[in-house]
Amino acid sequence: MTIQIKDLTISYQDLDHALLALDHLDLALHPGKITALVGESGSGKTTLGKAVMGLLPKNARTKGSISVDGIQILGLDEAAMNQLRWSQVAMVFQNGAASLNPVHCLIDQVAEPLLQKGIVRRKAMAAALDLLARMGIDADQAGRYPHELSGGQVQRGLLAMSLILDPPVLILDEPTAALDAMTKGFITKVIQDLRSAGKTILLITHDLDLARNLADAIAVLYLGRIMEYLPGTDLVDSPCHPYTLALVRAFPFMDGMRDLGGIRGDAFYRMVHAHTRENGRTHAHVHVAAPDAVHQGGHAPPQGCLFQPRCTQAVLECSLGDVGFTACGTHQVRCIRGGIAQILSFEKVAKSFGKVKALAPTDLTLMAGEVFCLVGETGSGKTTLASIASGAVAPDQGRRIFQNRDMDRWMKTDFASFAPKIGMIYQNPAESVSHRFTVFDIVAEPLRIQKQEIDPEKIRTRVLAALADVRLSTAPEFLKRYPHELNMGAIQRVCIARALVHAPDLLIADEPTSSLDPSVQAKVLKMLLGLQIEKGLTMLFVTHDIGLARKVADRIGVMANGTIIETGPAAGIINHPEQACTKILINSARGLGTRSLASIPGYEKENICRS
Amino acid sequence: MRIWKKNWSIPVFVYLAAALVMAYASFRLPNLLPGDFVTAMYAGSDVTLNAEQEAELRAFYQDTHGFPGYLRNLATLDWGYSHAFMAPVSQLFLQALPWTLLLMGTAHVLSTLLGFVLGVEAAWRRGSLLEKAVVGIMTVLEGIPEICSGVLLLLVFALSLGWFPAAGAQMAYADHTFGQWIADVAHHLALPLATLILAYLPGNFLLARAGMVMVLESWFVLTARAKGLPPVRVRYVHAARNALLPMVTRFGLRFAFMITGALVVETIFSYPGLGTLLFNAIAMRDLPLVQGIVLFSAIMVLVVNLGMEYIYNLLDPRVGHAY
Amino acid sequence: MHIDVGRQIGKDPWFITGISILLFLGFLAVAGPFLVPHDPYDISFSPLHPPSADHWLGTNDGGMDILSELVFSLRNTVIFGVTAGTAGLVLGVVAGLFSAWAGGWTDQVIMRLADIVLAIPSVMVLILVAAFFQPSPVVLALTLAGLAWPTTARGVRAQALTLKNSLHIKAAQHMGGSGRYIIARHLMPELFPLYLINFAAKTRMAVFMEASLAFLGLFDPGEKSLGLMISYALQYYYLDIWSNWLMPPIMLLSLLIMGATFVTISMEKIFDPRLRKTV
Repeated sequence: MTIQIKDLTISYQDLDHALLALDHLDLALHPGKITALVGESGSGKTTLGKAVMGLLPKNARTKGSISVDGIQILGLDEAAMNQLRWSQVAMVFQNGAASLNPVHCLIDQVAEPLLQKGIVRRKAMAAALDLLARMGIDADQAGRYPHELSGGQVQRGLLAMSLILDPPVLILDEPTAALDAMTKGFITKVIQDLRSAGKTILLITHDLDLARNLADAIAVLYLGRIMEYLPGTDLVDSPCHPYTLALVRAFPFMDGMRDLGGIRGDAFYRMVHAHTRENGRTHAHVHVAAPDAVHQGGHAPPQGCLFQPRCTQAVLECSLGDVGFTACGTHQVRCIRGGIAQILSFEKVAKSFGKVKALAPTDLTLMAGEVFCLVGETGSGKTTLASIASGAVAPDQGRRIFQNRDMDRWMKTDFASFAPKIGMIYQNPAESVSHRFTVFDIVAEPLRIQKQEIDPEKIRTRVLAALADVRLSTAPEFLKRYPHELNMGAIQRVCIARALVHAPDLLIADEPTSSLDPSVQAKVLKMLLGLQIEKGLTMLFVTHDIGLARKVADRIGVMANGTIIETGPAAGIINHPEQACTKILINSARGLGTRSLASIPGYEKENICRS
Repeated sequence: MRIWKKNWSIPVFVYLAAALVMAYASFRLPNLLPGDFVTAMYAGSDVTLNAEQEAELRAFYQDTHGFPGYLRNLATLDWGYSHAFMAPVSQLFLQALPWTLLLMGTAHVLSTLLGFVLGVEAAWRRGSLLEKAVVGIMTVLEGIPEICSGVLLLLVFALSLGWFPAAGAQMAYADHTFGQWIADVAHHLALPLATLILAYLPGNFLLARAGMVMVLESWFVLTARAKGLPPVRVRYVHAARNALLPMVTRFGLRFAFMITGALVVETIFSYPGLGTLLFNAIAMRDLPLVQGIVLFSAIMVLVVNLGMEYIYNLLDPRVGHAY
Repeated sequence: MHIDVGRQIGKDPWFITGISILLFLGFLAVAGPFLVPHDPYDISFSPLHPPSADHWLGTNDGGMDILSELVFSLRNTVIFGVTAGTAGLVLGVVAGLFSAWAGGWTDQVIMRLADIVLAIPSVMVLILVAAFFQPSPVVLALTLAGLAWPTTARGVRAQALTLKNSLHIKAAQHMGGSGRYIIARHLMPELFPLYLINFAAKTRMAVFMEASLAFLGLFDPGEKSLGLMISYALQYYYLDIWSNWLMPPIMLLSLLIMGATFVTISMEKIFDPRLRKTV
């Protein structure tokens, strides 16, 4: 049984405004497939489930169509809808035990739909018992009242109840929320079996791990719109939409490497306000409103991409016009930029210093909003690559593309507009600042150089903001301090403030913490990553320490012999390294040292990774 | 009112204690009157007692067996003698009791059933014009005490229009067949019954509706609807069953109102039940009779409330399975 | 939240109607004795006189001015209601808070006592006391309060216990707040809506009881009370006294109870977190 949802718009009418829950949504559910709907709370996931069941509250207004095997069900009356409910489409609601009636025992509730279909009581009970037994609930537990069952038993009971009429379509709303790992595993297995049995399954969840394990296709919902439609297996490793990436980054995957990062900004509500015009007529239009602005009448601009205020790669066009779907590989993304954009890419970039070949022809791609770690031993070419990326060093050959423009030409023709796009943090903070400059002058320097601001008052405001961002004092006495009066951690913070004061899009950090104590390093890194999320920066992070890279990176590039030998998602590189050098790097970091080197295939001599 | 949490016997003890408190108060009261209690009890009354009657009265309250003896007297229906009515108190009580049971029982059953069904249906149709109107009317009715509605009904339908009798429970000395007698009793019952229903119905309705409104928002009702069950089944088997609980809980609290109302209504319509008997006893200052009526009405209230405790447990499996 | 509830309740037509009625009747009760044309105990007028310019509502069987009698009756009924309501509320709040705060055996004893008192039908006790001792209305009101406190105590205790375990109270304790501080600054204000509802409900019950008991003849026949007035007027139902003698006390009593009912129902609706959505 196939469910086609076309152009579905649902809003909840309140007294003087409406909440837009779903906005022109298209989705198809097919037999034998699991489609997962993921997104933050309030993105409209549950609304869709209720809409398919015909159970929207009275104040819901719908447009568009939902068809079950070609039969239009939106607008069907209760009697006709009741024909479909449970026998054709069944749903497990979220909130577990609250979905069971407290005054009836479990088996009565499971068997109830059968009895209503006219099955004799004895047979209905036997069928219910049988189904419950398959869910691991014995006859004794089946006769209990909901309050006497554990959370896991309730959830399995609800699943049994939804299957009692053997419906071809199942909607599962957070089927594993608040369950322990064992029960979650059991329910995952049951859902997989149901797929094999040819059921059409809509899985509503914010558990990305469940979605990627179960779903054939995933629809990522944001404020009632599908932002990305992608194969389940791609969710973690190759999301296309910045929002999907942000969700993945925020989710505590068991095999996740990087520290959890939130999504910048707050989710909004979408309200349709009816304003009374001067001529007495009312006209309705959609506003995107921040949660705390709802009651104050404040709202963000309604146009353009919904995710734009929180996006890491927003450009001017993102706030204009409507955004449709574009293809991004096998995915569909609702993004003007065609999904996560490349901010920087190298094609066969190489560099020699005299006779020393520092960098063999190398390809590199940085995606907007990600943290990319270059890892490798000393002399592997990391710093050269970083310098080329920053524009400080020109390559001998190859092409550099930055923000879709040829970087060399851009630097030549309009350096003033190029320079502010990139911020740099250097390995040795003390050396990277002039000891004749005060803190204020250090941070203000880029602004003065780039002539972004002339007005001293504005420069001062931006400097103070940058210092506050890196949690440094903004007191006048501190601004007058000189670097030698500060400790190393504070100097590095000043350097970070300097790198951020001109609001760059790309931040290149070359061993930014290697000269710091581990305790100071931890604090500075946490702050740096916090700023990266908050400001939506792309970061190229250079380090020799793969242990550090693993906590920082979305993707890792391993360098050896002057080129990148392996790139991939951090978890993939760490858990399943392919190149021998990578394995050595990881094992060394794990403290196995030389003992294990012999056991690595391809290892012949000690300097395999050094030419 | 719900006392039962873990142990099924606790309510029994509580109600027993309450009954004993009432009985003891009733036993001690005459002795607390200033001066000689026999004189005090019949002060201001039309009754004059002879020496023998006085002695009997003294014996009843100053029994050498004290309170246990008094309890034994109560248990054997020896509740004293009403000198105003020239009859034993127990006899007067038992004569009046059936009429009160008929009036209150009918009023109760009808108003509960009607209030519950109306409340459930109103909650189901929440927001409609009809529902709003009904809720409004019920709220206004809830504000009209029995004294007022009873007097108005009496004036309009009995005295002015003459459709119903203004007093009594049946026509005296009439030679009726059984069918005629039933019709006659119903005819007499109509006005006091209507008054009581007007008084009880709004409370039941508002409670049932409020409970139902809350239950209807719960997930299990949504699930029941999703199961494609017929609306009537969703409403009554799933939702209303849960909405019944607050009604039962509040029953005991409302009982004091109900009893008071019933006393007043019987008096207004001179219905020969306990209320009218009490009114007359008070008017004639026949204190032993007042005492008897009060004590046994109270004990009946206690029994009903105790029964409600157990009914609640039948309705809500979450309370316990101790029996 | 407080502002929000305040705004909500100010918008509720039931509340506005109820509180207007109560304020009007309260004004009559307080200022009435200075406004009425005659002394209600003055029996020097010709009895059963129909309404006239001097006696707007005529005179009763005892030759008293009905309008003056009506205002004094209302005053007595209101005083009875407010006395019983206030005393019952104070008793209930003190018992409930103390019970919740003390916990342990004290809590058990107070609550079992509440159960027993709650089980006793209060009207029966009142009838007994009134019949035997013929006390003043104030004593009866206090007796009623003594029987009506357990509902408040239970409600206050349940809410206080929930609050006591709530995080912000725990936080206040960790910050070093004393028991007195927490009761005064956290428990009392948070429970305030509960007091209002309980006070309105109790006063309503007391007014109803007073009228009923007076009607049943349990008050001194010389007293002024709406219930007594109805009872006396009803004895002359065969005369043409409906509009000037019987109806006025009926209307006033209904208005009084209606006002209290509207206010109670409206407040319950708005303050009950579970019902709030349904407003």
